[in-house]
Amino acid sequence: MLKINNLHASVEDKSIIHGLEMEVKPGEVHAIMGPNGAGKSTLGYVLSGRDGYEVTEGSVELDGADLLDMEVEERAQAGLFLAFQYPVEIPGVSNMEFMKESVNAIREHQGKEPLSAAEFLKKAKAAAKQVQLPLDFLKRGVNEGFSGGEKKRNEIMQMILIEPRVAILDESDSGLDVDALQVVADGVNSQRDGERSFIVVTHYQRLLDYIKPDFVHILADGKIVKSGDASLAHEVEKSGYSFLGKKYEEAEA
Amino acid sequence: MSEQIEQALSRKYDAGFYSEIESETFENGLDESVIRRISAMKNEPDWMLQWRLKAYHAWLKMDEPEWAHVDYPKIDFQEIAYYSAPKSMKDKPQSLDEVDPELLRTYEKLGIPLHEQEMLAGVAVDAVFDSVSVVTTFRSKLEEAGVIFCPISEAIQKYPELVKKYMGSVVPRSDNFYAALNSAVFTDGSFVYIPKGVRCPMELSTYFRINEQNTGQFERTLIVADEGSYVSYLEGCTAPQRDENQLHAAVVELVAMDDSQIKYSTVQNWYPGDENGKGGIYNFVTKRGLAHTNAKISWTQVETGSAVTWKYPSCILKGDNSVGEFYSVALTRGRQQADTGTKMIHIGKNTRSTIISKGISAGRSNNAYRGLVQMGPKADGARNFTECDSLLIGDQCGAHTFPYIESRNPSAIVEHEATTSKVSDDQLFLCQQRGMDAEKAVSMIVNGFCKEVFKELPMEFAVEAGKLLEISLEGSVG
Amino acid sequence: MSQWLNEVIESASATSDFLAPFRKQALSSLEQAGWPGRRNEAWRFTPLTSLEKREVKHVQQAASAQPPSIEGLSAFELVFVDGKLATDTSQLATPEGVTIASFDQLDDTQKQAASEVFGQIKPARHIFGLVNDIASTQGIFIDVADGVQMDQVIRVANLVTQDVDAHTRILVRVGKGASAKIFEHAEGTVASMSTAFSEYAIAEKGHLEHYRFAMMTGQAKQIGGTHFQLGDESTLNSTVVGYGSELSRLDVDIIHAGEHADAKMNAVYLLAEGELFDLHSNIEHTVPNGTTEENARGIVGDRARAVFNGRIHIHRDAQNTLAELNNRNLLLSRRGIINTKPELEIYADDVKCAHGATVAEIDEEALFYLLTRGVNRSKALVMLNFGFIQELVNKMPDAAIRQWLLPKLNDRFAQMEVK
Repeated sequence: MLKINNLHASVEDKSIIHGLEMEVKPGEVHAIMGPNGAGKSTLGYVLSGRDGYEVTEGSVELDGADLLDMEVEERAQAGLFLAFQYPVEIPGVSNMEFMKESVNAIREHQGKEPLSAAEFLKKAKAAAKQVQLPLDFLKRGVNEGFSGGEKKRNEIMQMILIEPRVAILDESDSGLDVDALQVVADGVNSQRDGERSFIVVTHYQRLLDYIKPDFVHILADGKIVKSGDASLAHEVEKSGYSFLGKKYEEAEA
Repeated sequence: MSEQIEQALSRKYDAGFYSEIESETFENGLDESVIRRISAMKNEPDWMLQWRLKAYHAWLKMDEPEWAHVDYPKIDFQEIAYYSAPKSMKDKPQSLDEVDPELLRTYEKLGIPLHEQEMLAGVAVDAVFDSVSVVTTFRSKLEEAGVIFCPISEAIQKYPELVKKYMGSVVPRSDNFYAALNSAVFTDGSFVYIPKGVRCPMELSTYFRINEQNTGQFERTLIVADEGSYVSYLEGCTAPQRDENQLHAAVVELVAMDDSQIKYSTVQNWYPGDENGKGGIYNFVTKRGLAHTNAKISWTQVETGSAVTWKYPSCILKGDNSVGEFYSVALTRGRQQADTGTKMIHIGKNTRSTIISKGISAGRSNNAYRGLVQMGPKADGARNFTECDSLLIGDQCGAHTFPYIESRNPSAIVEHEATTSKVSDDQLFLCQQRGMDAEKAVSMIVNGFCKEVFKELPMEFAVEAGKLLEISLEGSVG
Repeated sequence: MSQWLNEVIESASATSDFLAPFRKQALSSLEQAGWPGRRNEAWRFTPLTSLEKREVKHVQQAASAQPPSIEGLSAFELVFVDGKLATDTSQLATPEGVTIASFDQLDDTQKQAASEVFGQIKPARHIFGLVNDIASTQGIFIDVADGVQMDQVIRVANLVTQDVDAHTRILVRVGKGASAKIFEHAEGTVASMSTAFSEYAIAEKGHLEHYRFAMMTGQAKQIGGTHFQLGDESTLNSTVVGYGSELSRLDVDIIHAGEHADAKMNAVYLLAEGELFDLHSNIEHTVPNGTTEENARGIVGDRARAVFNGRIHIHRDAQNTLAELNNRNLLLSRRGIINTKPELEIYADDVKCAHGATVAEIDEEALFYLLTRGVNRSKALVMLNFGFIQELVNKMPDAAIRQWLLPKLNDRFAQMEVK
């Protein structure tokens, strides 16, 4: 489904990712862990096509299509979703209006009829309920005045409505208490249908107790240095990133 | 508490002495014959005289600008002498040894020794005394690098083609009332030419001194940086303490050719008048730079003197990717009035400008920032950022901000922010509780407020000029 | 002097009502001031050439017109049509404690009260305010007595249906501890020239919710002013909406005359085609302890021009003032022009004052966010640009007016985008 081959990327001429390889098959959950500065967030931005994140080498395929050749919105329409670590506030644009526009743009791309206002409202209400956001959050400006946890839940709500092919969750657990973490994880788990895939980027093993990964990759220095199953996450939890060498041991101390 | 602040601010004007030097001074008054005499004194070619006369006739038809937030009695332009020079300068001393020792002492007293061996390393000085240039140091060393640094009167004789080409090209003869007056009667000033690809090997500076009574100083500076060159230039100025107001109306033109860079710094310390507003210099100055492709012009000014300041060093960002900067600290005390700021005219694509203005008002003074940021229809991707901060010390002063913004390009971005603050009793108390006296505390707070600007001054001056010219409040420069 | 002004003065000279002494004084001020040219700072970016040579047009036949109806709005409706108060459609009723009366209906006490407002709040520097002083024979006086809480909105509509010179005036007194909602609503597209000035005296602890929608477009020239005087602990919440026209200018003065007053003003303007809208706001803190927050946002497309001048003036004794002004603009077209000038004039040291002004494209980060959700770029830009305006509209206290306005603005904006 998603194939990343020898990906090299840089930001402001500084190389951040060099030689990343990864393949995500339908229905799989891949966790990417790694120390600070390993390039975890950069990966999400590169895949979604943010300005200033330049791919210098390698290729990425989504369902056989060249992802890197697409515009940001085309990638989203093709089924790529990024849950932001720090979602931006857009005052004045209502959450509802925004999500309806998003869902219908994607539906249009899939050759489906746009949802009517009533149909959409019904879905949106259900999604809000699922992530435990009060309904008035639908009317408020996008992320406007939301707390950190509310923003994260708003991201998951969008994911539920958009129904992407591949979702990248960029540290969706950071800054959350246990209850909120459960809500985020439930939201993700509810979308696991054997077809949809997830890339869960996280610094801590905690989230992976709730979202069971099929694979765990350790990202360091812009490439995957170690891969394994869920037990690798526990190993990291227990002994940190010391196996990567002294540099990371100190950074984590 | 505020009394302590007042004390901390009241410093005496160290440069206020008068030098007993025998001068030849024109009688007061201005007409065509005065301009002809100035031109004759300078032995000028006819084209220069004709240029002056055209400016004079334009000036006659112009009105004094009244839009600035300043208030002063009307100037009688017939009560000013338009030329004054030490008699000893008449025979044009060929070397420093021939210069009147009293003149040299004057500069020494001001902390500007003109003997090269005593000078700050790496700084060449042109010393202008009333209407003439006394001496220009390090000329031979500069000549080796191909750099021309000389009095403008000399440049008119020796490099007429360069002067003809560039003088008035940035500030036209009849640009405004004071620029037109200057164009008619300018007496001396500095000329700088940096050839292609040359990085000027030392800092250049001009030191202006008004000495004679009732004379106006009308200097003219022209700096041309040819393609790919770099120059850093600093001017300083002082005048004796007198009860009468004196007029200083200068014009500075900068031409930055493709890929070149001009850094122009000013430490302005003209006599500000006494606490009651008696005397002081009227500082009405036109400064403007023209930046071609990829060129950069940076103005830094520390304005602490003058009774009235009217000054807007500007950048015309004509070439694509050109950059303009304006960093300013303006301190007004007593009855001083300042209306100063900048204009950033964005013409070329991707032009960038930054404006950082720090105004400090104390006593019964008024301090205004006035600026213009203009984005032309072709200035695609142009950006400006402006920050204007005012600090009020005491409740009898005024701080004002008048920024004009005009945009005609949808892809240009302009951001302007302004704030005001005061030296609070809490801040003072904290400093004092930590063992500082009030003067030190105010200095420290003000210095912190101005830091962004001070760091733009050339190293050699940030330290030395700070000491010599009382760069701002006493003791505030560490 | 311009031909137009001479004619206005001539035709106004016949009026003799209880305001005559004030009108006479205004006339002499006007004659002294003269016609404002380009060198007049207040008119620097707004040319008056199209007005200079206009011939004054009087109403031949009173037209009838209705203001747009606003669903869910409970309002007293007062209607000026072509500069004349339409007595048949206007509700000059007087609920308990409230006077709503036209100038020619006032009794002596009311005349006295109205005289205490007329020309007393509006600063004399407004040239067209002086024009309105001498020519506004049609006017309304509204008095809300001490302690009266008015829930209903008083809407004063100003409609222009034919080529006419119209000069209307509103004088308002909000009593001690009283509260009122007043909505000045101007519409019209035909070639015409109107001046509309209003003055509000808000007494101690009074509250005013205010709207001024300058929605005349096309060839309708409109020059107006709204001037507030705030008493001790009074509060003001004002919303301005500006459409541009051939010539559209609004001056707002907020004068803190009493301590601890709080003023909020939000303004939005949306300009298309060759429209011009010029908003001058002036906040005077003459006494200590006042607060003011002003936000003005505009979008300029096509060949339109927006002029904004926002001045905050803190007087010598106005310590402890808190004043903020923010002006943000979006320019959508290469042929459009934005001139903005936020001004601070500060004579007191213990104050917190700030202003900001921007002219910019939309927020890149917000755009990226929308794109990652699959929204097409052009649609994303529309959403963000309109959101920029909508954010302020959402702050309007009256839901009915807000819900009426939003789709109007949206349509106007959509048309701008298409062009």
